[in-house]
Amino acid sequence: MASSGAAGPFWRAAGMTYVSYSNKCASMVRSCLKEPHRTEALEREKVHFSISKWVDGKPEKPSIREGTGGD
Amino acid sequence: MIIVPATTGQMGVLPGHVPTIAELKPGVMTVHEGTDVSKYFVSSGFAFIHANSVADVIAVEAVPVDHLDSNLVQKGLAEFTQKLGSASTDLEKAEAQIGVDVYSAMNSALTG
Repeated sequence: MASSGAAGPFWRAAGMTYVSYSNKCASMVRSCLKEPHRTEALEREKVHFSISKWVDGKPEKPSIREGTGGD
Repeated sequence: MIIVPATTGQMGVLPGHVPTIAELKPGVMTVHEGTDVSKYFVSSGFAFIHANSVADVIAVEAVPVDHLDSNLVQKGLAEFTQKLGSASTDLEKAEAQIGVDVYSAMNSALTG
């Protein structure tokens, strides 16, 4: 069933990862829901995290990122 | 019994099914429990069928088909079909193609 060296799925050939692909599909499905399911689902897309770069073995000041998903 | 939308086609799973890992494409998963039938739209994911006849279906979004709004689906399908025609980079084409695949699958789920 598996082919050697094949291009694989079209999104992989275009440089997308499975996770990006899967998240995009999920986002499209959420946008087609009826209320109140749609509002509940859009809550699931929200991200909120703290990120800090490490330089010379020490973390720099962290920054908060939040938003409605995406890459 | 369940029927899952594998990338290789609709796959029916009964107890005693050979252990399988199947990648799923956007589509309808049908669950038959006795005479009850429930349909869920799965955004993508995997189905793991284990040797002990337990099946796990993993999806980022799995919604009952009647939670989908057919007007929004048709609008989205028209929008992505148009984007596919006007896409230039590989990435734009891939995104538009994903849109067309997902919305067509939702459309078939609602009209099928």
